[in-house]
Amino acid sequence: MNLDARQVGQWIERRLSAPASAGVSGPRPLSIGILIALIVCAGSVPLVTSAYILQLATDLLTFAALAYSWNVISGCTGYLSFGQVSFFGIGAYATAALVMHTSVPWYVDAVIGATIGGVSAALLGTIMLRLRGIMFALGMLGLARILMVVFSNWDFIGGAAGLTLPAQLTPVAVYLAMWVAALAAFGLNYFLLRSQWGLSVIGVRDEEVAAAAIGVPTSWAKTVAFIMSALAPAAVGGLVAWNRSFIDPPSAFDPTLDLQVIVFALFGGIGTLWGPALGTVILVIVGEQFWAYLPELQLALYGVLVIAVVLAFPGGIVGVANRFGWLRRRPVAAPAVFPIVSRPPRPATPGSDTIIEVRDLTVRFGGLVALNNVSLAVRRGEMVSIIGANGAGKTTLFNAITGFVKPSEGGVFYQGKSVSDIPSHRRAHQGIARTFQIPRLMESLTVWENTLLAARHGRRKDAAVEQAAWALHTVKLDNLWLEPPGKLSPGQQRRLEMARALALDPTVILLDEVMAGMTRDEQGEIREVLRHFRDLGVAAVAGVEHIIAAIADISDRMIVLDRGKKIAEGVPEAVLRDPVVIESYLGKVS
Amino acid sequence: MIVLQLVVNGVLLGGTYILLAQGLNLVFGVMGIVNLAHGSIITFVGVFTYWVVTQTNLNPLLLLPLVFVVALVVGGVLQRLLLEPLAKLGNRRELLSLMVTFGLSYVIVEMAINLFGSQYVSLPNLQETWTVAGLAVNEALVVAGVLGAVISGCLHVWLHYTASGKALLATSQNATGAVTCGIDVRRMRGISFAIGSALAAIAGVLLILILPLSAPTADTLTILAFVIVALGGLGDYKGAVFAGLLLGLVQSGVGYYLGGDVEVIVPYLLLIGFMVLRPQGLGQAAR
Repeated sequence: MNLDARQVGQWIERRLSAPASAGVSGPRPLSIGILIALIVCAGSVPLVTSAYILQLATDLLTFAALAYSWNVISGCTGYLSFGQVSFFGIGAYATAALVMHTSVPWYVDAVIGATIGGVSAALLGTIMLRLRGIMFALGMLGLARILMVVFSNWDFIGGAAGLTLPAQLTPVAVYLAMWVAALAAFGLNYFLLRSQWGLSVIGVRDEEVAAAAIGVPTSWAKTVAFIMSALAPAAVGGLVAWNRSFIDPPSAFDPTLDLQVIVFALFGGIGTLWGPALGTVILVIVGEQFWAYLPELQLALYGVLVIAVVLAFPGGIVGVANRFGWLRRRPVAAPAVFPIVSRPPRPATPGSDTIIEVRDLTVRFGGLVALNNVSLAVRRGEMVSIIGANGAGKTTLFNAITGFVKPSEGGVFYQGKSVSDIPSHRRAHQGIARTFQIPRLMESLTVWENTLLAARHGRRKDAAVEQAAWALHTVKLDNLWLEPPGKLSPGQQRRLEMARALALDPTVILLDEVMAGMTRDEQGEIREVLRHFRDLGVAAVAGVEHIIAAIADISDRMIVLDRGKKIAEGVPEAVLRDPVVIESYLGKVS
Repeated sequence: MIVLQLVVNGVLLGGTYILLAQGLNLVFGVMGIVNLAHGSIITFVGVFTYWVVTQTNLNPLLLLPLVFVVALVVGGVLQRLLLEPLAKLGNRRELLSLMVTFGLSYVIVEMAINLFGSQYVSLPNLQETWTVAGLAVNEALVVAGVLGAVISGCLHVWLHYTASGKALLATSQNATGAVTCGIDVRRMRGISFAIGSALAAIAGVLLILILPLSAPTADTLTILAFVIVALGGLGDYKGAVFAGLLLGLVQSGVGYYLGGDVEVIVPYLLLIGFMVLRPQGLGQAAR
């Protein structure tokens, strides 16, 4: 009864804070109106205003383009970069070289410059994106330094002395080109924050491991985002070089440019659609008035501003606006009401009889042997439970099967074929789904989007929506579909983990302590789902579990691990009476 | 002979590097954050020392106690005001603390530029070169190398033989465990940042005697320090000693055989290269 009242409350709350659940997918008429108004304004600025205003507007657009590009990799994808200026410099030099040595029109140069920026991001990304967190942040800073040294020693493009470009671009042309760059960068943000594909990069940001487990090709998603974040800076770099008609390594790879861009994005709101624009407009216009009096303190004040924003309102302007219900991100591809799902029971796709087979598997972490020569199989139609005390190697076993841990020896076979060399996300595509012992949910996405992300693989958009709705309905999370995972109880979070696994339409599901932290009722609901897994298109289930009472009666077979070794296997009744198993749990009775 | 000379230079250079990395290392070990303002403290104190010495003709080493105490207090205050509020933010803490120290680095650098200028400066106190067994030995590098060793030694003694040091070490190894042993982890974070800042300040006084510094080179020093900390195993202060020596040796060899331009980018190449070869990351091993 209590629960119902809460759900009604949540429903009302959702209706009142309309933007969060307006449920419209695709741009609203209002956004399109704003966009048209902006474009009209853009076109008319050069006609009516002074050279000063034109330059200010050009600066503003330049920074907006850079801030949006930084937001792609650092805001949306979560890879904090202190060296996006690398692509600014590469683009600047590429364009400069084209101007000096060819005679193609300037806009073609700009497009080629952007392309070169994108290609270099693809190449550099193969190295840089292996770094994580602070390593990536400082690695990018280092990359800018390395490039500065390289370009200083490259005489073809002027070396340390720099290049002087023939001035051929009118301020109006630069201005309009900057508009295109800024709009393009905005468009990329719009794509990442509003499309189904964009969920992949947000998934990488929130939980990279879980994203791979539900089929997101994480390396690919990161690389695409990295390329996207390089395009506009490269184009902008070329235009700026041309605008100044001079370029040298220190100005092309100037680290303070990154500081400014980060300040703007941070002030507006990192990872939001409108943050970079708001931050840039406000700070460039305020700054224009302010820095004129205190030019030598500009960078110091930016530094103070960064600290102040982080401490006072880490979400930036958009974060503050969100508290009042404005500028909220709308859930991606969420229908107006939860779709009613009816799907007849269906059996698993026929195939090999042995679904998962592990042969002589050994996993070592340094000197620690987590799994010692373990062989086991999960067969079609079975529910297998894997039990054992802490440190028995249960989770390591699942990690090896799903590709998150490399076996030291032995192999993992899925439907008769070795999957040892297949990355995690492709194992998920092939039908191996898993949940995590400690739920790894994408905190900034809704329950709905968490599930949709898993449902996307190999489906058209509407089919993915249907699949996600079915999965959520199966674990009975329909009522909470627009909540963030942080608001769910531990039991509900595990059900969401299960919904994501089901949304993959898997052949086998590996459940890692799915019942831990659940109430009796919740355990009952999960048991209900597990009893009927054969009707959900799932061929087999393997579960690691501590709550033996909750699984003994629904398991067909039980496997016991103890300190990395398999010590027993068989029907639950027999295994649980096995003296070896009892000793492993309770110690030897002397 | 050349090789031997390069090794000597490398080892002594390594001593300098150890000197500038230990403060950053301590902060990372206990707080789990990288203080991007580390290099700016070094250069600020460095150019400040230069300014004081040229104004008053004081022996720069007399400034050591003063800057140590001031940096200790300022570091403690900054930690409490700017970083402690982020401690409870969970997984966003890393990003936000990077942002804060990134902002702080610009504030300190710009302050140094506005107060003391942005040119390269150096104090000529330790410019002699001794010849030992046919090898040229630079006095400044010897002093730095010895002090790097002394400071690492002090750190070792403090961490292992005093109550406060042990508490700090415990916190860096397992903060939750430290709490259950009755250690005030919040205070430990403050202490680590204060000592880290003080070590950076000492490095500033000493480095200005050894090599030319300018306020804007702050982030180069931060990166150098970070590379050593990362190579040494993030927070492992003994590892940092080896990493400092390694970097010194590599850089002295590269500088001789491949030229000064390449020497400058060695730290970045090492950082990127090392992390790519160990993609699982030392960071994860440390957690």
